[in-house]
Amino acid sequence: MIKRILREPLLHFLILGGLLFLAYDQLGGDAPPRPDEIVIDAARIEMLQKQFERTWQRPPMPPELDGLVDAWLREEIFYREGLALGLDQGDPVVRLRVAQKMDFISEGLLVEPPDEPALHSWFEEHAEQYRVEPIFTVQQVYYDPGRFDDEWAGAVAAARAALASGTEPEPLGGTLMPAAMADVSAREVSRVFGADFTDTLADAPVGRWHGPVQSGFGVHLVRLEERIPGRIPALAEVRDEVERDYLAQQREAMNDALYDSLRSRYTIRYENVAAPVAPDGSGSDLTRSP
Amino acid sequence: MRIHSSNSRGLALLAALACLAASALATAQIQPTKESLSELYPGKAYSPYAQRRFPDRVYWGDTHLHTGLSVDAGLFGARLGLDDAYRFARGEEVMASSGQPARLGRALDWLVIADHSDAMGFFNDLAAGSPNILGYEQGQRWYDGLQAGGDASAAAALDLITTFSQGKINPEMLAQYSPGSKIYASVWDKVVDAAERFNDPGSFTALIGFEWTSLVAGNNLHRNVIFRDGAARAGQVVPYTTQVPIGSTDPLDLYRWLENYESKTGGSALALAHNGNLSNGLMFPVDRQYTGRKLDDTYVEKRARWEPMYEITQIKGDGEAHPLLSPDDAFADYETWDAGNLDLSEAKTDDMLKGEYAREALKNGLLLEKRLGTNPYKFGLVGSTDSHTGLVAVEEENFFGKATNAEPSARRMNHPFTRTDKGAFEGYELVASGFTAVWAEENTREAIWDAMARKEVYGTTGPRMTVRFFGGWDYNADDLNSRAPAFRGYEKGVPMGSDLRARSGDGAPTFMVYALRDAIGANLDRIQVVKGWLDRKGKTHEKVYDVAWSAGREPGADGTLPPVGNTVDIENANWTNTIGASELGAVWTDPDFDPSQSAFYYARVLEIPTPRWVVYDAFRYGIEIPEGAETTHQERAYTSPIWYTP
Repeated sequence: MIKRILREPLLHFLILGGLLFLAYDQLGGDAPPRPDEIVIDAARIEMLQKQFERTWQRPPMPPELDGLVDAWLREEIFYREGLALGLDQGDPVVRLRVAQKMDFISEGLLVEPPDEPALHSWFEEHAEQYRVEPIFTVQQVYYDPGRFDDEWAGAVAAARAALASGTEPEPLGGTLMPAAMADVSAREVSRVFGADFTDTLADAPVGRWHGPVQSGFGVHLVRLEERIPGRIPALAEVRDEVERDYLAQQREAMNDALYDSLRSRYTIRYENVAAPVAPDGSGSDLTRSP
Repeated sequence: MRIHSSNSRGLALLAALACLAASALATAQIQPTKESLSELYPGKAYSPYAQRRFPDRVYWGDTHLHTGLSVDAGLFGARLGLDDAYRFARGEEVMASSGQPARLGRALDWLVIADHSDAMGFFNDLAAGSPNILGYEQGQRWYDGLQAGGDASAAAALDLITTFSQGKINPEMLAQYSPGSKIYASVWDKVVDAAERFNDPGSFTALIGFEWTSLVAGNNLHRNVIFRDGAARAGQVVPYTTQVPIGSTDPLDLYRWLENYESKTGGSALALAHNGNLSNGLMFPVDRQYTGRKLDDTYVEKRARWEPMYEITQIKGDGEAHPLLSPDDAFADYETWDAGNLDLSEAKTDDMLKGEYAREALKNGLLLEKRLGTNPYKFGLVGSTDSHTGLVAVEEENFFGKATNAEPSARRMNHPFTRTDKGAFEGYELVASGFTAVWAEENTREAIWDAMARKEVYGTTGPRMTVRFFGGWDYNADDLNSRAPAFRGYEKGVPMGSDLRARSGDGAPTFMVYALRDAIGANLDRIQVVKGWLDRKGKTHEKVYDVAWSAGREPGADGTLPPVGNTVDIENANWTNTIGASELGAVWTDPDFDPSQSAFYYARVLEIPTPRWVVYDAFRYGIEIPEGAETTHQERAYTSPIWYTP
């Protein structure tokens, strides 16, 4: 049991996440030796150069590099003076940026590729969301009831009889709706004809004209040529997708866990205001579904 | 020739039905015609869907979404990140930052997440330049231990804890602490990585992009950049910023950056501007750029080269036309935001409008082409959200607002989006708009991007109507009534976004336009063709023609088509499709054509009136709609233009 817990990436994360603060505290970042000294070393130059190179795909020319260093220096001096004045305090942009960096760090903890058994059991639990949609090949002829007054039913019946006897639907032109769709997913059919229309294909007869079938546009005579039912795929078929979703869920759980672990170190006091009944978004990985 | 589809189509259908009924008795089989076996149609007549050589599918997406990575979005409370944004666009349910579950009515086919580039490409000090963790003795030890599982794993974990608690951990390693983890050098790397993970050719395309947020004294000169490429190329660079010394707010510098990107990486990228309506006259200059420099060959050539599209509609207002610029256009005043510039630091004056609206820019483009040889404003038209919530939620009954503070709540209508002493953009003025439709062969980065580059795109204010627009010299009613008009469209002319082919004969250009309403949306009121042209004296003009409309109406003596009616029930937030038409189409010939005058034509498709989002809010929250808020509107599609040059 304890071993299993120790193997949990979440635990590793909790340990790391919790201690990160302490470690930074103790190490004190890379504060300069003297507050009135600014060191421009090779690492700094390299970083500025790299920045330029990633933007322009070439190293900066000497005057450009001078410009970069000058700009950095100017920013550094203002930055330090600003910090000394406490200008970082209460600034929502600074606050947001620093807080975002915490997310950044915790997300980096994720181990890729994920552990095989974990991935398998995730897939088993969520197999339904990877279901391969049914595939249809279908023809249709469309009638706008608005154009036929009360006679459309008769017209449709006549057309249906004609189609049943082997007449090609060729002359029924002049609609933007496709006359035929070959090897398309249910989603594709729905995009064009709406979900209600697509639903009727689930148990429509194959290989003959039927209808009228209702859609948001009007009525259709429909000939379903082929229907390949939907199915649950094997993991190998959808591995990339599953891996992505699994990691996304892990990432979210980690962020939430980091927040929980940090939050537990604080006492939150509501002064002269009512505490919220259920703190929003704090927390548990159960509040979100992937 | 002018055909009102409702009549002609109805007759054609009746005739066809009669023919079918007759043929049930007779043996009249319909044979494929010669035309149907043209070059565009090399397959067997019965299988036109194989080997087709033109785009036959419209793919829906948004070129402009911000996530919590954008600082302004974050400040408004957006917590959703890249993954959430992609999931939502793909049709999955996510939890909005305001704590309410959100889901799109229908999934999109593609998405460009365009977070602000400033600061996005800067390397995170934490990760930059640090060697890999495995280079460290400690790291290797833990890595091996954790991978081994069992007792070794437990021991490694204990070791980690001890080392941490004693402060003996290597500081550089701290940045790379997790074996097997992905350490991003910059936010951009993260953006690129997310696009790679969610790009799923054939079913969902994640185009890599960013927003270059040039704001000059509060005037919006923003451009979005969209890459055709994946991580291998787009990941080599970091996005261009507005921060000196590397970045700049001048579009000419952005063009230089784009040029450089293409030549150095062999990739492809394009840019598109948005919200000229908040630029206080700077977006579409005619004489001078905002820098004071005169418009010259370089400017017009580069702008034409790098900006093949313009974002015509979005949450911060519709930018097609302004009623003062287009006084004869009864539908020009749609979701107009003209109080001032983006941050309302300066109020709008009438003389600014001509540099702000798409139709005016298209007209001035003709003028500049005559003056400088190149039309800098020869763009296709797209619609986008520019949402800052990570949610592309601009359906009227499912609108999640501009930013997290404007996500659904009983207060949002009354909460101003911006208010200064210069004016206000009220909360209820936010527009639930828009999306981009792309005519492409397949749903891949390459196909979608290529369609954008050739401008075979159109924008809508949210509904997903299918619209075709072709220009040529000899379209006729038979083409429109043929079984697959698109074949005729491509055979005999050019699609939206193109130049008319060279004039043959002495006739006027003909346009075949047809539209099918959104499968779950409102019927169509009418299709209009908007024409702009340049006369001999160098003056620009415009005219809006009604070319197809739903049955039961005829234009009056003054040529005005009566309104389609209105079924909106505001109290119950409802409307019905008992007016209008599911489909409209026409072949229209320009009655005022002058072969010596350059011109452009684009189609505008209007839906019947439907409720604005405020009506749904009022209904669901049981609240009053603020005075001054529009309650009904006619949503629309704008196609990319087709140009004629003498």
